[in-house]
Amino acid sequence: MSRLDFNCRHRFPSGFEVDLAFEATGLVTALFGPSGSGKTSVLGMIAGWLTPQFGRIRLGSRWLDDSPAGVHLPTERRQVGMVFQDHWLFPHMSVGDNLGYGQRRRGSGPPIRFERVVEVLELEHLLSRYPGSLSGGERQRVALGRALLSNPVLLLMDEPLAALDEALKLRILAYLERVVTEWNIPTLFVSHGQAEVRRFAQQVVVMERGRAVAEGTPEEALGQPTPLGWTHSAGPVNLLRIDGAMLRGDQWVGRLGGQEMKLPAVQGTSSNPLFVQFRPSDVTLSLEDVQGLSTRNHVRGVVSRMLELAGGIFVAVDVGQILWAEVTPAAVRDLGLQTGSKVTCLIKTRSLEVVG
Amino acid sequence: MEFSATEWSAIHNSLRVGLLVVLVSLPPGICLGYVLARHRFPGKWLVEVAVNLALVVPPVVTGYLLLQVFKPAAPVGGFLDRALGLRVAFEFPGLVVAAAVMSFPLMVRAIRLGFQSVDPNLETAARTLGAGWWRTFFTVSLPLARNGVIAGCVLAYARSLGEFGATVMLASQREGNRTLPLLIYTLKDRPDGLASIWPLVAISLLLAAGALVASEYLERKGLRHESA
Repeated sequence: MSRLDFNCRHRFPSGFEVDLAFEATGLVTALFGPSGSGKTSVLGMIAGWLTPQFGRIRLGSRWLDDSPAGVHLPTERRQVGMVFQDHWLFPHMSVGDNLGYGQRRRGSGPPIRFERVVEVLELEHLLSRYPGSLSGGERQRVALGRALLSNPVLLLMDEPLAALDEALKLRILAYLERVVTEWNIPTLFVSHGQAEVRRFAQQVVVMERGRAVAEGTPEEALGQPTPLGWTHSAGPVNLLRIDGAMLRGDQWVGRLGGQEMKLPAVQGTSSNPLFVQFRPSDVTLSLEDVQGLSTRNHVRGVVSRMLELAGGIFVAVDVGQILWAEVTPAAVRDLGLQTGSKVTCLIKTRSLEVVG
Repeated sequence: MEFSATEWSAIHNSLRVGLLVVLVSLPPGICLGYVLARHRFPGKWLVEVAVNLALVVPPVVTGYLLLQVFKPAAPVGGFLDRALGLRVAFEFPGLVVAAAVMSFPLMVRAIRLGFQSVDPNLETAARTLGAGWWRTFFTVSLPLARNGVIAGCVLAYARSLGEFGATVMLASQREGNRTLPLLIYTLKDRPDGLASIWPLVAISLLLAAGALVASEYLERKGLRHESA
């Protein structure tokens, strides 16, 4: 059963048009695209503060919008929680009052308890403070808690991590994951960060100029050669899931599917599984496994697709997950690389970055 | 300072007029300020012109027009007298009506600025948390526009204390029906007038300055959390 069924068309006075249809079936869905692609407008239509000229939006069994039938539920009756990019905490209320603002609303399903939200998001020491005195990460947590306590059927998040620095991003991401697993609230979030989308979402809708240009799992959707991933960012990002990370002797190791990866030092607080991030240009491809190299990670896989871009050729290697390598056209020619080629990916341990 | 009964009655009248004007004007002032700050509608410019007219028209002219509306022989004045027993022209209510009409544009202007300073996204946030229009207005929009509302009240109060031109037309110069400016004007032409006016001038200054101090205090109190 689809949780959210979205089909809207809206033309702004500027001439910009959003024309999008998608079904969100998983727990966490990402709307991915560059700024100005209409992502926030889509959230506005779902939340109800933007009325589309044509729109049919169904949430579970309820119609939020059905313009042919003249249905347009006001924002306050949609039970859609929203975490705004700029938080929009009420500056004249304490953190506690902000959190409690939406609590009166009775939703379906078991109510989310105030004490539990405060505990999970670690807000106890902030309750009597005012938003003006909070840091960016604290505001984000309060905004998330406030939305949760309104007992939403769907949670919308507009670039929840965009305004935060890298270290904080990982911490907030950990909070988001905690929230989603604890309360099982279907979530739709807008993002232009590939790493967070890959890590957090089960389904991705890639938007460009108001339209969907790709849709599917993060692997499928972000692997499409849309102009987006390639011109608006540095190309695909490698973010691989590593299981069973442990310290063996003085070397951290972990499993990438059935293969072993040697990792840089992992902080004791990191979660398991963890993720490693590295650039496609840090990967060397070899047709056979070469011994006697200082490069410690030799990961075997099969070429699943090749994309030619301005910068070079991006080769997707299926190693259980998709691993991207960037090579020159000449190298592809000399090695005779094509879809189905068996290759070994050589990655220096030093080029891996452990994230969370 | 010793004040005569006439002087006390003028001080008393001025204070009453100032406070009544604020009380009477505040609800429509808040409504109009909010609508002008938040909504666009055909004919909005006409409303703005009508509200601000009293700012540009000579006060004596405004007073003359008010007199034409509220005099007992006029339809409106006659109706108020018959239906409610309310006589505006030449009586105390006339002092309030003249001051209210003259100060209303200042009040609306300040309140409107107050609402304009409230980011509409905060109202949207309240709606996503399940608050309907009324709850959003009273818990988010109005508290955040409070400094504009306070400023509007102070301006209206101060303008009422100083109102002369329209008042002198609409209200009679009868003993006991004078405000401070009317009394000061009357005393001016007496032989010892200029000297006897001094205490009244001092009181006028005090009443106006008191309003400013009160508004400063209230605004600072509201700002304490937000800028912390």
